[in-house]
Amino acid sequence: MKIKLWGTRGSIPSPGPETIRYGGNTSCVGVTLSDGSLLALDAGSGIRSLGLALGDEPRRLHILLTHLHLDHILGLAFFAPAFRPQTEIVIWGPASPEASLRDRIARYISAPLSPVEVRELPCDVSFRSAPDSEWEIGPARIRAASVSHRGPTLGYRIDDGGSSLTYIPDHEPGLGADLDRLEEDWISGFALARDTSLLIHDGQYTDAEYPDHIGWGHSPLRDALAFAHRTEAQRTILFHHDPMHSDEFLDRFGAEARERWEALGGDPGAIELGAERAEYELPVRAAGPVATA
Amino acid sequence: MSFVTQRPLELILARNLMSALSTPAFLVDEGGVLVFYNEAAGMMLGKRFEELGTVGADEWGSLFGPFDEAGEPIPYEELPLVTAVRSGRPAHAEYVIHSSDGASHEVEVSAFPILTAHGSQGGIAIFWPTATNGDGARPA
Repeated sequence: MKIKLWGTRGSIPSPGPETIRYGGNTSCVGVTLSDGSLLALDAGSGIRSLGLALGDEPRRLHILLTHLHLDHILGLAFFAPAFRPQTEIVIWGPASPEASLRDRIARYISAPLSPVEVRELPCDVSFRSAPDSEWEIGPARIRAASVSHRGPTLGYRIDDGGSSLTYIPDHEPGLGADLDRLEEDWISGFALARDTSLLIHDGQYTDAEYPDHIGWGHSPLRDALAFAHRTEAQRTILFHHDPMHSDEFLDRFGAEARERWEALGGDPGAIELGAERAEYELPVRAAGPVATA
Repeated sequence: MSFVTQRPLELILARNLMSALSTPAFLVDEGGVLVFYNEAAGMMLGKRFEELGTVGADEWGSLFGPFDEAGEPIPYEELPLVTAVRSGRPAHAEYVIHSSDGASHEVEVSAFPILTAHGSQGGIAIFWPTATNGDGARPA
């Protein structure tokens, strides 16, 4: 599996000189499976760059949406492959008793918020609610599970070639719970992340910021580290950076994360902050990921 | 890769909420197993959940009841939580239970189903909001 971060920011695109290194685009991760199949995890503003990088090649691809908050779907209407008739796109997302996935996404891709309607997209697009049992895309086994956030929200685990990627960008597992003491089957998202090769997880707030944001659906550093520690993730990328956090702030935040991770008994090199355009390759055997850029 | 068995998120969130309540509250899974009760409920029963752990309906009944006014155990099939689990509807009743020290407690029980996003019943939360105590004590 090859992984590239196309958007690491949370909440709202935050371009500017203060966010150049970690990036200002919102959530999107490109995943190339061992057979070349392409997945996009979320469709924040980062998916625009992913679409441009694909060129004109006709292909089939899957977009796995964790949830439908705007920062995770706002790039859909600007995803170049969606405007090519030869492209087939399958969009997966959380089920809801209220309306179909297509109808919920159409609330954004429709007037007056969008100049195009879903039915006008030239590509062959279909919408599927993620099942609550494992399914396959190409050589990969995909598993989705509801996780603690505001509104119906999924985390994903992708197993391919003996390695695994777990993606839970919006997650507040410590809401009303002590992650150090809770039994593992009672921790939101635990089964997705257990022993995973690479965990991409919410790390939006500092511990000092969190008391003003309890219940907003995101993790303080304390809980992100506790979750990674309890699940024994082999490597962790903290993700969904707060739009108020500059590169300099995130440098300090990352240093603190490494220090505290080491204090928990972890390898400080096994935890880092997600940076836009960073690439990773997970080896065929589950010996841990290797950063390539 | 073997996955850890994960509780449904709806039960996880219910437990987290119940943990913060001062109202005695109980959480039962779709199989009828008592999977959690909070500190307030533990004070009423005289035993913390951490001491007891998960228990099936039969074991729960033999430990704490409930009992009818004549002191006879109420059959499992007549319990409101069972009614709720099996019919997908809420239920309410008044009962007497026994705490671990043998004291009797008159309680009101409200039970209701918790539905998951996929429509299946993930569990039942039971609140005992106006419980009174047979020996004069009241739960916190």
